[in-house]
Amino acid sequence: MAKTILAVDDSSSLRQMVAFSLKAAGYQVVEAVDGQDGLDKARQQTVDLVLTDQNMPKMDGLTLIKSLRGLPTYAKVPILMLTTESSDEMKAKGRAAGANGWLVKPFDPQRLIEVVKKVIG
Amino acid sequence: MTRKKILGSHVKRLLSGVSDHGRRHLTEVETDLVQTNLLLEEAIDKLTGSFMAIHRSVDARQPAIDRLLAGAAPTPEEHAHLAGMSGEVAAHVNAAVTSLQFQDMTSQLLDRTLRRVTGLRDFLATLSAHGDDIVPESGGEEIVEGLGKVSMALAIQSQALRSMLRKSVEQRHLESGDVELF
Repeated sequence: MAKTILAVDDSSSLRQMVAFSLKAAGYQVVEAVDGQDGLDKARQQTVDLVLTDQNMPKMDGLTLIKSLRGLPTYAKVPILMLTTESSDEMKAKGRAAGANGWLVKPFDPQRLIEVVKKVIG
Repeated sequence: MTRKKILGSHVKRLLSGVSDHGRRHLTEVETDLVQTNLLLEEAIDKLTGSFMAIHRSVDARQPAIDRLLAGAAPTPEEHAHLAGMSGEVAAHVNAAVTSLQFQDMTSQLLDRTLRRVTGLRDFLATLSAHGDDIVPESGGEEIVEGLGKVSMALAIQSQALRSMLRKSVEQRHLESGDVELF
């Protein structure tokens, strides 16, 4: 059975590109338009990996990660940040919030798939 | 200090404050627009290259496809060439997907520029509102007090605008970003 990835980004074009790349590699993708929507979708369905942007309306990526880590079902689910942010300070905040990795945009689809495979197989 | 000198120093402080804050924000606007322009130019160049490359990949197979449609058996070279089409096109599509992410970055830069311009408009509105409080009949002390208040209000507003507009996009090229697993 295909593994499911929750892709959270307020940019519809970015979500489309992430979904296009991951689906081509055989993953199922659930899309969310911001952190709050991501949290709602994660509660409705437990996914195998969360891939989230940082700067989004309603709820940002770091807040989403902290909220997910507060849910028993998401204590161990891998969470990767996919964001334009590249400062060490932000990466440290992501790590402290519970992120398992940090990918800086723009992403290369092949590289994204390699990382996802490494994390969830 | 004489009243005239006090008034003069307040006017000077206000004028230099407006100038400094305005220039600082407009310099940021300029930097963001230059960065947006760089990203857009590179995106157009790279996307054009990717689409042309996809066209060339497909076009190069057309003679072999025509021969197959005419009922001929593919040569070993044609077989290998056609079999490699998917991977070759996928590589160009992947490159296009990376370049297409210019939209995400430029929209963040433009949003930041828009919010800064709106903030500057509010900044000038504050200046105007405090200016309305100073009437021709106002005495020297009232004017000094008014100038002090407007300088303070503008400094606070400018600082709030700066802290609200943290730069989240540093990229000046559309090269794929770093990956770090914790």
